[in-house]
Amino acid sequence: MSNISNISNIFIKTENLCFSYDNDGEEKVPAIKNASIEIEAGSYVAVLGHNGSGKSTLAKLLNMILLPTSGKIYINGRDITDPEMSEDDMFEVRRQIGMVFQNPDNQLVATVVEEDVAFGPENLGVPPEVIRERVAEALETVGMTAYARHAPHRLSGGQKQRVAIAGIIAMRPECIIFDESTAMLDPVGRKEVLQTIGRLNREAGITVLNITHYMDEAVLADRVIVINDGEIYMDGTPVEVFSQVDKLREAGLEVPQSTELLFRLNALGYEFAPGILTTDDCVAAILAKLSRTE
Amino acid sequence: MLKDITLGQFFPGESYIHRLDPRTKIILTVFYIIITFSAKSIFSFAALFLSVVMIIGISKISFKTIIRGIRPVLYIMIFTMILNIFLTNGEDLLFHWKFIKIYKEGIITALLVLVRIIVLITGTSVFITYTTSPIQLTDGIERLFSPLKRIGVPVHDLAMMMSLALRFIPTLIEETDRIMNAQKARGADFSTGSLASRVRALIPIIIPLFVSAYRRAEELAVAMECRCYRGGEGRTRMKILTYGLNDFFAIFIFLLFLAAIILINIYAPGFKL
Amino acid sequence: MDTIIELKNITYVYGSGTPFQMTALDDVSVKIKAGFITGLIGHTGSGKSTLVQMLNGLLRPHAGQVLLHNKDIWENPKEISSIRFKVGLVMQYPEYQLFDETVGKDIAFGPKNMKLSDEEIARRVEEAASFVGIDKALLDKSPFDLSGGQKRRVAIAGIIAMRPDVLVLDEPAAGLDPRGRKEILGRVRQYQRDTGAAVIIVSHSMEDMAKYCDEIIVMNRARIFAQGSCAEIFARAEELVAVGLDVPQIAYIAQALRRGGCELEGDIYTVEGALSALVSLFEKKGIPRKTANNA
Repeated sequence: MSNISNISNIFIKTENLCFSYDNDGEEKVPAIKNASIEIEAGSYVAVLGHNGSGKSTLAKLLNMILLPTSGKIYINGRDITDPEMSEDDMFEVRRQIGMVFQNPDNQLVATVVEEDVAFGPENLGVPPEVIRERVAEALETVGMTAYARHAPHRLSGGQKQRVAIAGIIAMRPECIIFDESTAMLDPVGRKEVLQTIGRLNREAGITVLNITHYMDEAVLADRVIVINDGEIYMDGTPVEVFSQVDKLREAGLEVPQSTELLFRLNALGYEFAPGILTTDDCVAAILAKLSRTE
Repeated sequence: MLKDITLGQFFPGESYIHRLDPRTKIILTVFYIIITFSAKSIFSFAALFLSVVMIIGISKISFKTIIRGIRPVLYIMIFTMILNIFLTNGEDLLFHWKFIKIYKEGIITALLVLVRIIVLITGTSVFITYTTSPIQLTDGIERLFSPLKRIGVPVHDLAMMMSLALRFIPTLIEETDRIMNAQKARGADFSTGSLASRVRALIPIIIPLFVSAYRRAEELAVAMECRCYRGGEGRTRMKILTYGLNDFFAIFIFLLFLAAIILINIYAPGFKL
Repeated sequence: MDTIIELKNITYVYGSGTPFQMTALDDVSVKIKAGFITGLIGHTGSGKSTLVQMLNGLLRPHAGQVLLHNKDIWENPKEISSIRFKVGLVMQYPEYQLFDETVGKDIAFGPKNMKLSDEEIARRVEEAASFVGIDKALLDKSPFDLSGGQKRRVAIAGIIAMRPDVLVLDEPAAGLDPRGRKEILGRVRQYQRDTGAAVIIVSHSMEDMAKYCDEIIVMNRARIFAQGSCAEIFARAEELVAVGLDVPQIAYIAQALRRGGCELEGDIYTVEGALSALVSLFEKKGIPRKTANNA
């Protein structure tokens, strides 16, 4: 995107990031411990972890809803833990990193879809004509143009969540964090939202962080980061991460059924390559094994 | 069911009234309230009733919706009617039993007051809630009252709070329904027993509702911050408010209407309130 | 198995006479067996939530009958709240209905409404708490101080404490992480095995259904689409997909393997089933395996 060659394409970088919640003067509970990660611009990262593992806390640190206890966070090369950061700088960070939350009802502010989508750009002081363009474009991107004049509370969960995504896109962010955005949706709604996320990443080049505990969502990402008890527990491609079934279970997570089947066959001594994730790959691997003997 | 409550809900549309500037609609509402209270003659009430029917017609809001909107205040209406019927003294005695006296004037007064309440509720809800989206309304209020900013009134914040409250009415109504069902499933009874026990029966609804509203407010605040909300300063609007010919026309019509009602009050024969 | 609850020609229409009119249940007849865990699946709007609210009389059918132990529950509408003690319904996200000062008092709300004696209530609260794995020490705590998963279990205990003949759970594991799902569903199964009560679980997760249910009812467009054992239902994978539902991933795999010429035996809808079928096939074909000793 940038034509200045010496800017690295690391979009998010944290160094020894720590955060503790203040527990009414009692002992502080560390939620994030010494986390150092680098996330490249344009990548699609799934962040996995059980409830209370600290994954949502991490998201809130990245767009300055929470401020770290210690450690550094760089967004687009800018140190956002710098005490010199002005309020304007903070809102610029929030513009760059949009957030979509779990409950679609609690993030829609307006009673008409298009007015809700306009909320972010209005806050940024974008001129009215430009807001109109952006709203139309954002609704188009999430496939909700036909609902522009509808009342959000009459939409399905998946549709509401797509409106919420449109509201973020209209701010022209470089990165969007999905904080368990599919957890309250039915399978149809989940599919709609995941397709939208995939398209944003591929076609608009938006960096995606999908915080989830659904393994089948993690499989869609380029990279999987597992957080356990506030620490970076695993980090790699989906194949690398899902090949370590026992380690994932220790962190309270599961693997897709295909991976589990082959993992258990392996344990019985039938040798399969580790980390097979999709239905098709699993079927192909088993059929290949059978044909080799014939 | 609670879900049927339509009071305070916006119905998107393209009618003449929908397209009026929200400031105009606020002004018209104020006019309408003044007109309703200045109506005295039975003829001005007839005109008033006719006007509200016309307004509903122009707004293209269905009569069913309007009726559902009135239903929650039914008890208040019945109560005032009874008061008027029994407490109005007049000349034409229709019914007399012990100390109860019902006069013809009482019945007419009761009917006129009923018209007044219906017109008041329907008129204001058609102008303010049914045809004006909360954001437009907030915009209207904010601009109309912006001179008050100079004396330190937080006009924007108040307007925003109001619009959010309106946005969450349907959500919280649904939530109330859900919680009521959940407690009914545990054998809670909301419809029998003494007044005290009925009030006590509300606790299992009110507390979860309060807890949930608080959680929603917290999540909403974070979501708004994430969308760079920082109060009214530097904020632009997608829809710019501009007065059009339509707005002046509507205000003009209302001025005529007010004048007509006053003239009818003075010159029309027959019963006067 | 005996039928414990039966719906006979039930029809229910929302907003009849308005432009939003929608038939949620269209002449539905279904029998729920005692002593079983029955899974109820169907996409959003298929009518399953409406059906669930029929079972304990939260909604009254516009046509048809709900028979509990062969008796119409609407025979005496004034007694409908007593039906709710017999058919316990755990709604979606039940943690949001908690209200009392302590966990113990909250669980006791149902039994109290049943007008039981204090000793009986205390006994039931303790029993229900142990069924859902809530420690005794937590009974005196405020429910609002618990974690999300714990709150959910307390809410379920509040229904279990009424000792219903039928326990209905609408999406009991929604929004929980894998560990939480396993915990809740495992507890529900244990409860069913221990008490012999009939349990109905509504869920979107086919994997969970295959794992925990004995019988499955599929709903589609306000009607019953299919009813049968897991094996019978998941054998009809293509039909399920055609009405917008899924099957467990493992059932897909088994189907694709068979299409690829694999002669797998038995009905496969769980990982365990697939594993044993594959191992016996591998052995028959003489596929070598590394033993732990020479690995």
